[in-house]
Amino acid sequence: MRPLILLACLAIAGEVRAQSLPAEPVSVANGRFVFGAEVFATFGDEDPGFFNYTDYEYSAFRNVRLAVSTELRLSRRLQVLAELRLDHGDDLSPYALFVRVRPWPDRRFDLQVGRVPPSFGAFNKTVYAYSNLVIGQPLAYQYLLSIKPDAIPGNADDLLRMRGRGWLSDFPVGVTRSSPGLPVVNTARFDTGVQVHGVAGPVEWTGAVTTGSLSDPRVGDNNGRPQFSTRIVAQLAPGLRIGGSAAHGPWLDSALDGAIPDGVRAREFTQSAVAADVELSQGAWLARAEILRSAWNLPALGTPAIDAPIVARSLIVEGRYRLWPGVSVSARGDGLWFSDVAGSAGVQPWEANQRRLETALSVSITRNLIAKLAWQRNLRQGGRVRRDSLIAAQLVYWF
Amino acid sequence: MRGAISIVAILLVPLAFAMLSLEATHAPAPAAGFLGNRAGQSSRPAAGGIRGRLDLRRLAGPTERRPEVAEPGAGGPRDLPDLRRGVVYLEQAPRAAFDEREPARAVMDQRNETFVPHVLAVMVGTVVDFPNSDRTYHNVFSLSRVKRFDLGRYAAGRSKSVRMDRPGIVRVFCDIHSHMNAFVLVFAHPFFDVTDASGRFELAEVPPGTYTVVAWYEGEARATRPVTVTAGDWTDLEMVVP
Repeated sequence: MRPLILLACLAIAGEVRAQSLPAEPVSVANGRFVFGAEVFATFGDEDPGFFNYTDYEYSAFRNVRLAVSTELRLSRRLQVLAELRLDHGDDLSPYALFVRVRPWPDRRFDLQVGRVPPSFGAFNKTVYAYSNLVIGQPLAYQYLLSIKPDAIPGNADDLLRMRGRGWLSDFPVGVTRSSPGLPVVNTARFDTGVQVHGVAGPVEWTGAVTTGSLSDPRVGDNNGRPQFSTRIVAQLAPGLRIGGSAAHGPWLDSALDGAIPDGVRAREFTQSAVAADVELSQGAWLARAEILRSAWNLPALGTPAIDAPIVARSLIVEGRYRLWPGVSVSARGDGLWFSDVAGSAGVQPWEANQRRLETALSVSITRNLIAKLAWQRNLRQGGRVRRDSLIAAQLVYWF
Repeated sequence: MRGAISIVAILLVPLAFAMLSLEATHAPAPAAGFLGNRAGQSSRPAAGGIRGRLDLRRLAGPTERRPEVAEPGAGGPRDLPDLRRGVVYLEQAPRAAFDEREPARAVMDQRNETFVPHVLAVMVGTVVDFPNSDRTYHNVFSLSRVKRFDLGRYAAGRSKSVRMDRPGIVRVFCDIHSHMNAFVLVFAHPFFDVTDASGRFELAEVPPGTYTVVAWYEGEARATRPVTVTAGDWTDLEMVVP
C-alpha cells in the first residue's frame, strides 16, 4: 500500500513541477554541447532473497539515481560523450567516457574509443528506466551469480555450496573474503576499449575489443588479453528486427596465476557467450525476446573436479500494450538455467535455476515524466529465500 | 531512515532542475480570432483585414538528439524543422466567427525524422492526417489536455488521422524518436495565420472593430498588440518577438 500512496503523491508533485522542467536536451554553444539527464526513484519492498541486487549493498528495486549524459560536438567527425551517475544519493561514478570519430560524416560508420557502450545483447538499455518496460532488469543482465573474477572454487563442492548466494559469495582460492558475484551480462558499468559501428541498409553491426569481460567490464586490464564482442541487427521490416550477439574473452584475474597448477595462466580461462533476439511491433503492441548462452571455463583444481565449462542459459520475453495515450501495461518473463556439475552429494545445476515474472502499469504524466507500478514474482531452486513477490513504484523524469 | 532520505532526494532533485531550467515553454491556449490567405494579398478585404510581418529576433534552435551514450554509434541523418514560422491570431473574435463550418483536413507529415510542418494551425473540427513518409516506424502521440491521442506504430506509406475537436495547443511527439516534436494550434475562430518564412501574415475578412493581436512562437504567446480594423481596408501591423 505504501508504494501506491507514495506514487500518487509523487505523481501529483510531478505534474506541478513538470511545467517548469526542461523537456528536451539542453543545448548550448549553438548545439556544440548537449546534455540530457535521467532521474528516477524506485521504492520497493524489502528483497530478502537478493533477487534484484546489483551488488551486496544496492537493490535495483530500491534506488534513487541521477544520471547526466553529455555530448561535446567538436566537429561533424569528432564528439566526446560521457555519462555520470549518482546512485543511492552517495555513489557517484563515471559510467561512460569515450571519443566518437566519424571519419566520413555522411556515412554511418563510427569508431569509439574509451569506456564504450556494450556491443552484446538486446536488453542493455533496461538499465535506463525510461527505456525499461518494467522496473526490474532481466535476470541475465542483473542477477548475481556466485562466480567471481578474483576467486575460484577448489572443487565442484565449493561451487555448489554457493548456489543461490551470488550477492555475497566466497571461494577458497584467490581472494577469500565474501563479495558479490557477477551477472551473466553486466550492465552496471561500461567496458573500456575500441568499438566500431556501421549501418549498411537494413543491417547494423558493431564490434568491440575491450579489456574486461561480458560479466566483468573494467577500466583497467586484469588479465592481459582482450575480449572480442560483436552484434548484428537486421531490420527485416519496419516492425521486425532480429539480432545476434557474441562475446569471447578471458574473465579471471591474473592474480590467480599462482593458484592454478601446471603453469596455466588465468587468462586462458574464458567466458564465451552467444545470443539471438527479435523485436516485433505494430500499433499499440511491442514485443521482444532473447535467448542467450554463456559458458565460463574454470580450472580443475581438486576433486570432485569441475571438468567442463559451466554454462548459463537465459530466455527473456517481454511485451507492452498501450491501453490509452500515456498508459501502458507491460510484462516480462525470463529465466536462468544452469548446467549440471557432479559434486560429492550428486549431480545438480552449478547455480540455482531461477525464473522471474514481472508486470507493470506505466502512466506518462507528461511525455518525460513517467510513473510505474510493478509486481514481480521470483522463483529460485536454491538459496535461503526460494520465492518472493515484490511490489515497487518508480517515478522517472528524463530530458 | 534510508527511505526518508530517498523521499527528500526525489523531491529536491526536480526542484533543482526547475531552478536550472533554461526556458519554460508555457503555452496558453489560443482563446479566440480569420484564416490567413496571402494568396489574396493584393485584393481589398470586403470586411477588413490585418496584415504585416512578425519579426523573430531570435530563432529557436532545433531539438537536439539526446546524447547517445548508450548507442554504439551516432544516429542517421535527419531534417531540421523550419523554425522561422510563428502564428499570429486574434485573441478574441466576433461571435459570428464561431459559426459551425465544414470540417477541413490538414496534413502533418513525418519525413526524415521530422514533423512537416513544424507548426500547423487549424480550426476546431479539422481532421489532421499524420502520414509516415519514412522507412522506419513512427509513433505519433500527444498528452496535451486539449487532445490526447496515441496513433501507435505504423509503417511507411500509411497514415492515421486525429480530429481536433477543442481549441488549444496540441504538442505532438514521436514515441520512438524523442527529438521529433511539433505543434498543432487549434482555434475556435478563423482569424489566425502561420507566418511565411519571412514572417509575413494576413488575417483577412476581419469585421471592423478593435482587437488584440497575439504573436505566438514555439509554445508561447510572446507579443500582443491592440489593433483597430476598418471596413474594406487592410491594417498594417509590425510585431516583434524579442
